[in-house]
Amino acid sequence: MSVIIHDLDQHYHDSLNNKADYVFAADGKFAPCQGCFGCWTKHPAECFMKDRLHQICRLIGQADELTIITKNLYGSYSPDVKNVLDRSIGTSTPFSTYRGKQMHHTLRYGKHHLWKVIVYGPITEAEKETFRYTAKRNAINDGYSESAVYFIEELSELEALL
Amino acid sequence: MKTLFINGSPKKKLSASSYFIALQKLFVKGQKVSLNLRTKADYQPILNELHNVDNVVFCLPLYVDGVPSHVLRFMEVMESYCSDNNLHCHVYVIANNGFIEGRQNEPLMQVFEHFCTRANLTFGGGVGVGGGVMLNVTRILFFVDIALLLLNIILSVVHSGNFFPVESWISFIENALLLLFFNCGVLFYLCRMGMKMNKGEIAGKKYTRIMLPSFVFIIFADIFFIIVSIFEGGLFRGWLSKKSLDHPIA
Repeated sequence: MSVIIHDLDQHYHDSLNNKADYVFAADGKFAPCQGCFGCWTKHPAECFMKDRLHQICRLIGQADELTIITKNLYGSYSPDVKNVLDRSIGTSTPFSTYRGKQMHHTLRYGKHHLWKVIVYGPITEAEKETFRYTAKRNAINDGYSESAVYFIEELSELEALL
Repeated sequence: MKTLFINGSPKKKLSASSYFIALQKLFVKGQKVSLNLRTKADYQPILNELHNVDNVVFCLPLYVDGVPSHVLRFMEVMESYCSDNNLHCHVYVIANNGFIEGRQNEPLMQVFEHFCTRANLTFGGGVGVGGGVMLNVTRILFFVDIALLLLNIILSVVHSGNFFPVESWISFIENALLLLFFNCGVLFYLCRMGMKMNKGEIAGKKYTRIMLPSFVFIIFADIFFIIVSIFEGGLFRGWLSKKSLDHPIA
């Protein structure tokens, strides 16, 4: 299954609909993670906050190819996209293991293929490096075999990357 | 010198970030102010303080290899505010993560470096702490240790009139030293960063962890989550199973 998470407006959301099995608009109309670990220890793979991200980890967890379209903010995902990722840790379990010679959590949904990030907005070279590094770390953390990061200056370049 | 400590943990009580702020304060001179950053209502008090501070210390957890979204949102506002008001303080970071390797905080540190560049602030450095949750537990264990000592003293007085039960004191000191040992890496680097802050110097990025072998840490972490999951019931609700969506996400 392929999933797209993006922070673009409704116009782009409509145009992305045929580009993946599931397209999720990170519109910011949801609460940030409270760090309670309830999605591990109380109601597995489910957040106690019953907004649009209530079961987002179940969607992301089943993606073999995850594409994230985000505005750059200091070499990080935009707050709206990061909010979605923060609320999706139920894709893993509370048990720990080693991956890439470091400690990580075991995967609830097994291994995945591609963690793809498309970044738009003004960005420095140093911020690009941080994005590549972060995407690589995310891929290891979430059990993806590959990561790829693309930087675009205009949203018109998006079509060619999907 | 005035230092503002911003607690970026979303938790209301007993967060690991509050523990590390308490430790960092031991090594910082001058006036110290602590404020929480959980919701948008917390923005204005923090922004008001920025006019009068030399140093800002962000203390926060690592979320998905980066800065938690609610802190990112505030950083965007703070960048504009500092630019509009021509504010230039030093920014230091104490980041903690649940995994044992403190170095996993590196992407978060880089984001703060870029934030400082864009906001025309000075990135003073930071300490990345591995095993933050477990280190936070050590402070709770320390207070349990004190309570046990007091209980033993009371029992000793009641039974034999002895106000100084030697064995209880030895046991207390042994446990306290063990907890201190677990924390020694954090204490060293927070002390070092505090000394640099006091001089207005750059501390650089340093990484440390709870002083436990990795494989022992993992066993403790797994036991911790099993116990919590039993009490909270998750263990009996498909703890490790592949859950499907109950309904489509709009």
